[in-house]
Amino acid sequence: MSRELLAEYPQATDRFDELFEAPHTPRAHWRPLIEQLAAWPAERTRERLHSVHDQVRENGVTYNVYADPQGADRPWELDLLPMILPEEEWGRIEAGIVQRATLLNQVLLDVYGEQRLLNEGLLPPALVFGHAGYLRPCRGAKHAGDVMLHFYAADLARSPDGHWWVIGDRTQAPSGAGYALENRIIISRAFPQLFRDLKVQHLAHFFATVRDSLAHWAPPDHGSPFTVLLTPGPHNETYFEHAYLARYLGLALVEGNDLTVRDGCVWLKTLSGLQRVHAILRRLDDDYCDPLELRSDSALGIPGLVDAARRGNVLVANALGSNLLESSTLLGYLPNLAQKLLGEPLKTPSVATWWCGEPAALNEVIANVHRLVIKGAFPQQRVEPMFGEDLDERGKKRVIGMLRARPNDYVAQELVHLSQAPVWDRAHPRLLPRSIGLRVFACATPNGYVVMPGGLTRVASAADARVISMQRGGSSKDSWVLASGPVSSFSLLRRSIQEQDLVRAGTNLSSRGVENLFWFGRYCERSEASARLLRVALGRFGDNVPGDDDERARPVMLELLRRAGMLPGGGAAPGDKELSAALRAAITDDAQPGLAANLRQLMRVASNLRERLSLDNWRALNRLTQAVTQRRGRKTAFSDLLTELDLAIAGFTALSGYALDGMTRDPGWRFLSVGRRLERLQWLCTTLKLTVTGPAEMDLTWLLRLADSIITYRARYMARPEWLPVLDLLIRDEANPRSIAFQVQGLRDYAQRLADLFGDFGDERFHGALKGLLQLDPGNDFQPGNERLLARIDEWQAAAYRHGEQLGLRFFSHVGEASSQTFAT
Amino acid sequence: MRLSVTHETRYRYSSPVVLSQQLLHLTPRVLPWQGCHAHQIDVEPTASEMTQREDYYGNRTASLVIAVPHGELVVRAASAVSVEPRAQVALAAPKSSWEAVRARLSALDAPPLAEPAEFLFDSPHVERSRELADYAVKSFTARRAILESATDLARRIHRDFKFDRTATSVSTPLKQVLRQRSGVCQDFAHLMIGCLRSIGLAARYVSGYILTAPPPGRSRLVGADASHAWASIYCGERAGWADIDPTNNCIVDDAHVTLGWGRDFADVTPMRGVILGGGTQQLAVRVTVTPGLEATIESK
Repeated sequence: MSRELLAEYPQATDRFDELFEAPHTPRAHWRPLIEQLAAWPAERTRERLHSVHDQVRENGVTYNVYADPQGADRPWELDLLPMILPEEEWGRIEAGIVQRATLLNQVLLDVYGEQRLLNEGLLPPALVFGHAGYLRPCRGAKHAGDVMLHFYAADLARSPDGHWWVIGDRTQAPSGAGYALENRIIISRAFPQLFRDLKVQHLAHFFATVRDSLAHWAPPDHGSPFTVLLTPGPHNETYFEHAYLARYLGLALVEGNDLTVRDGCVWLKTLSGLQRVHAILRRLDDDYCDPLELRSDSALGIPGLVDAARRGNVLVANALGSNLLESSTLLGYLPNLAQKLLGEPLKTPSVATWWCGEPAALNEVIANVHRLVIKGAFPQQRVEPMFGEDLDERGKKRVIGMLRARPNDYVAQELVHLSQAPVWDRAHPRLLPRSIGLRVFACATPNGYVVMPGGLTRVASAADARVISMQRGGSSKDSWVLASGPVSSFSLLRRSIQEQDLVRAGTNLSSRGVENLFWFGRYCERSEASARLLRVALGRFGDNVPGDDDERARPVMLELLRRAGMLPGGGAAPGDKELSAALRAAITDDAQPGLAANLRQLMRVASNLRERLSLDNWRALNRLTQAVTQRRGRKTAFSDLLTELDLAIAGFTALSGYALDGMTRDPGWRFLSVGRRLERLQWLCTTLKLTVTGPAEMDLTWLLRLADSIITYRARYMARPEWLPVLDLLIRDEANPRSIAFQVQGLRDYAQRLADLFGDFGDERFHGALKGLLQLDPGNDFQPGNERLLARIDEWQAAAYRHGEQLGLRFFSHVGEASSQTFAT
Repeated sequence: MRLSVTHETRYRYSSPVVLSQQLLHLTPRVLPWQGCHAHQIDVEPTASEMTQREDYYGNRTASLVIAVPHGELVVRAASAVSVEPRAQVALAAPKSSWEAVRARLSALDAPPLAEPAEFLFDSPHVERSRELADYAVKSFTARRAILESATDLARRIHRDFKFDRTATSVSTPLKQVLRQRSGVCQDFAHLMIGCLRSIGLAARYVSGYILTAPPPGRSRLVGADASHAWASIYCGERAGWADIDPTNNCIVDDAHVTLGWGRDFADVTPMRGVILGGGTQQLAVRVTVTPGLEATIESK
């Protein structure tokens, strides 16, 4: 088995091989893994592989690609095999990263402070003043603990001689740590025994340290500091990670317009007013953070943030302006700066880099252009790397001309031949070689930098790739750092929570979060209602499926389908063929009104709420949508579609179960429940109105099934449905969660609770609706076509609509409004 | 010369502005050749917060927050300043060839000149280009003195470009100004700065005012009823900076009031803000600069 496994994995000759030390001889630290794989029957490996794949999908691990026309969430690519690093080797990497982070932080402090490095000629002015990431308004700010670089990542590559080199620094808002954590959770489950036996170092403490260090340096105030994670929003490529980290670290996930600056401090707009924010872990680029003092065209930032940070009233991590260090120009100067600032040589070297702004370097680059990579000097230039070895004579001339014209704007680097590591081939049970790079992460603590033991191994899409890009279809690996002793845990700095710090109500709910919860409730209900309607309709009209075939109810149901947009309005009654096509589309095609479209809306809202939904909740949601959309465009038997609808409805039941049993009863939950009940009330009103005005003698079984009340009815009456008991159950029965009375009472209670908490917000309290319910006389009014009943239904529907409006005006409206920039001369 | 300046900015909004945050560069800078005797900023409606500080370049700025809903915003800045003549000083300064200044600015082996180096590179409104360099070199001929070359460049801009208030807005790119050959003083300042930076020289943008009604015997300057802008060029370590106004084809003297400087308009926008709400807006700016001191301003 082992031979077979390794048959397609040639030992690298011109590059470092992570796996083999000699032909067919795995290095000691890889052996247990290879042996395990070889020992597993093929079935077992396949099952593990599927489990990894399913978990990525179910947990909704995505990496958005801007260029993707659908803007779709692309599933994260994760290889089954971890990358393995022995303890001693990791020790060297760790020391190099700690030193580098320390050095970069000092450079940053100097450039945004005294500027001794500039004045003493240790840094050419072009590297600072010519860098669009040098943010002048941020100079002179005070930084708690002299830390600007709180969170740092370095991209490492291993050269053929086995040494690790830094090929890039991520200093602004490094991404990947959350993905690394997610990779770890999934892969450690695939190899539980091996993971324990090898004593793989854990990641959890690192994240606790990130959170505690932020809290440590946040400006002092009464009580515990309030930290938020600032995201550009769901369209960002790494939004999954923002939501994931926010949830993992217990931070509020906010967008720019959730925050405001008053009195030089940052505040979160919450349901109950403004709440002071002490620390911001940001994933928004520097220059987008404040449209008042930085990029004026940013719609994502917080006007006044720079000033608040400058005054020391909020900790921004990383400090604004740290993008400055994301320039390859700096690499050549670091050895010298390490000597000057730290008094020691640079431990982990950078890949050889020449900044063309130095005349001597320019000449050397021109002479060797055929074997170098030419890159933009500054990240803002967005220059694609040019490989000298790809250039013909004309191309070379053009590049040289370009370098001479604007030498300051370019750097040249040596091409690193990336090391190769094995990946699992999905198609066949075997290993394939792929180029890899390692992204490692460090976090500032009061005791110096701490490195995450592990990292994100990035895998190129081809065996001999020169660059690794997640944007271009790269994959990833969990990264295991082995320990010889017991897995260590270092002490945390956390200040302990005192009695006066205890929090009960969710007062820090952002207005946007609340609005999303409200719509989450509505779309859950709307999706479920459409699934139920489709199930009843399909049971009735579908071929081969026995259903209640009362033809007299047909027009009512057709009208319900029309109201829901699932059938074209007006015209003659559709034929069976037309109808079945329409139903099929309504189930699977999200471009048409129907279940798939409602689910898409639900997912859109849910993706704004990711940090509030539990992973289980999220998985249930993902299963729902994926099951339905998989059927799109495929010829599926009606019976299979019915099964799909059954599963979907079971899924919705699970979702309401989470809402009922898995969420704290805070005001946010109340908004979710209000959304659900409003939606259900409106839907009930529409359905009942159409039914009551329909044929008097029709069989009402379908209505009971639609309203999920058939079991109750049968248990109570053991008879064929009749108007009086059916309407009593669906309208007046307070115990039936599908009745009008149940919705109205709940809405009245919620409205009262919200008014108690937040003061008046409009006059609709459902008192009228409740009175209307009580005044109904079932004996006389619960008849088909009854005018008093119809008038009441209209009143309830109007009350529901009014309440929705009033909630929106009071609690949601100011968030949606965009701010705009003005200039006067 | 003693000058009084009032600068009124008035916004009218079609729907109420709920929150307005403004950053002002409306306070004259105190300089060896310029004193500021009195200065006051009035805001309607009353600002809920107003803080003053020195910005990155040493200019005086104020930040405002107006948190009451309003349909109109008026910011009135009044200043009393005295300005010393300085054109002659600039002309009498030690002369260097422009190539010598350029070589010194880009030298990596000599102690860096951090202060002018700040103004060598691209900035939000000024991108260096081959076209700008080509336009500039006709004035920057071999071994010509830098100030003489720069005044010649200003003369050519003044001759080749038409002053036209309707031709551009604050967002018109420099490329387009160069192509259409028209604009206002901000555009001409950017143009001059772009030309100078494109050939490796340091140039900064100066925001300020010029005297509205000239004293008897002197002609009225262009751009006097609005805020004004011009360029400043670095002429070497001994001569320092010299201000040149391409809109009026002159070396800046005592009829120009300096508010402050930066790399371009974006660094010293007189009033830059972010508003929440507001709908469509109308902006009216009125500037008056008169000789003497106005009695309405209280001395500080």
